[in-house]
Amino acid sequence: MSNVVALSLDSLKIFLLFFSIVNVVPVMLWVERRMAGLMQDRPGPNRVGPFGLFQAIADVVKFFWKLDPIPQNANRFLYLVAPLLSLMPAALVIAAIPFGDFIVIGGREFPLQITDLNVGILYMMAIGSLGAYGVLFGGWASNNKYSLLGALRAASQLLSYEIPLGLAATGAVLFFGTYSLRSMVLIQDGTLFGFLPKWGVFFQPLGFVVFFITSLAETNRIPFDLPESEGELVAGFHTEYGSMKFAMFMMSEYMNLGTMSALMTTLFFGGWHLPWVTDATLLGWLHGSRNLLGLVQFGVFFGKVYLFLLLYVWIRWTLPRFRFDQLMRMAWRNLTPLALLNLVVTAVLLYFWEQR
Amino acid sequence: MKDWLITACGMLSLASALLVVLASSPIYSALGLLFSLFGLSALYLIWGSSFLAVIQILIYAGAIVVLFVFVVMLLDLSNTINVGKGPGWFATLLATSTGWLFSLFLLRALNRGVFAVAPPGKMMGSLRVVSQVLFKEYLWPFEILSVFLLAVIIAAYCLARPENLDAENNRTGGAR
Repeated sequence: MSNVVALSLDSLKIFLLFFSIVNVVPVMLWVERRMAGLMQDRPGPNRVGPFGLFQAIADVVKFFWKLDPIPQNANRFLYLVAPLLSLMPAALVIAAIPFGDFIVIGGREFPLQITDLNVGILYMMAIGSLGAYGVLFGGWASNNKYSLLGALRAASQLLSYEIPLGLAATGAVLFFGTYSLRSMVLIQDGTLFGFLPKWGVFFQPLGFVVFFITSLAETNRIPFDLPESEGELVAGFHTEYGSMKFAMFMMSEYMNLGTMSALMTTLFFGGWHLPWVTDATLLGWLHGSRNLLGLVQFGVFFGKVYLFLLLYVWIRWTLPRFRFDQLMRMAWRNLTPLALLNLVVTAVLLYFWEQR
Repeated sequence: MKDWLITACGMLSLASALLVVLASSPIYSALGLLFSLFGLSALYLIWGSSFLAVIQILIYAGAIVVLFVFVVMLLDLSNTINVGKGPGWFATLLATSTGWLFSLFLLRALNRGVFAVAPPGKMMGSLRVVSQVLFKEYLWPFEILSVFLLAVIIAAYCLARPENLDAENNRTGGAR
């Protein structure tokens, strides 16, 4: 196969994988509102298209047509750059997520992953932590007290919760013995004692709980959405943003939600593996077609991701918001020691396992 | 191609480092520092040290510079554009020559000293190499350093803590 064809196929792959995560945004817009309606005994958006499915399209059209003002005393440069600084890290982290094993086109293997970094999880943490800049600069540059307060809250919240998040992920890294997300998923193939799927969550239950709670805070979701709590701060750091600039903040938030779910699926819930079915068995069922297997794995992966997204929505419409001091106390006094405990116990157990 | 990339990243790093020093507003200084770190990280990546590159972003760009920006915003330092008259010609000359000498020494040390032993490239700074050096050869210095850092944290807390906690509680209405 010529280089040009291979290059264009690679580009197509990158585009499709990127698209599949970006697509979380309109889907979640619809799911969130319909599910809120369901939980609050009201219909939710149901006018545009069947079951209100085209509501997201209507919303995007609306965003484009809205007035797009810049506050008079805003810092123009930073004000315009902030939504980009928020969206770019959210788009970049997708590069390390393994969506499936690989497919074969014309005798060449295409891994269903943009790139398999040997520091994959560190890469995701590093780029993910850059999202704080968009929020900080956006809140500060709009020259609004509520925005600034929201930005300061967001920065301290993101910094504090990054520590238990990193520690919880480190437990999983210790257990799997690799930083590459693809290798982690490959280890989770098969069953444990014959009845449990060999998933990270059964080896790292505490790590998963800490990781899940922390991921809620890292994505600014209720009950941790203090940076934009409308009861106190109007709309927090994006008070002064309108039109597509606001939409960019919102998109990055939902994309972060998608990548967090993908990360949890990869670290704790077996990535693309079906429970109780090994890849080899599945390949047998599909008459040995690698491409079909790749498609099934892709579907399984996204099934798990969307289950987590539904869980996020469920939590959002169930729990009230924390107070800010409660939020900080939880990060430093509860979650960080728990994550450290998990790390120490994992390390000690692994040491004795190796000595056996 | 590689040389061009190295040149571009180095220029980005240098230009934004200049912005750190010359910017009139501290917030642009912080932004400059951020981009300088990105340039350095890209250089690490080009020379094959993916671990160093990622750690650079994770620790410095993702945490420390965020803290800088946070402090700048919290104290509202953005309006302190003119800090006095600026240094006189003698101070400028002294600072420039000292900086020049120091960088010359640094260059010599880097070319001759312990750093020159390991040639660049060849997985230098990859995850495996770094952790083996860190946890085998330099384990004790590493651990002692962490105790030292703990002592620094405790010292910082003691300095920032109010003199008398009870008195502070009475003054602020006991909410603590």
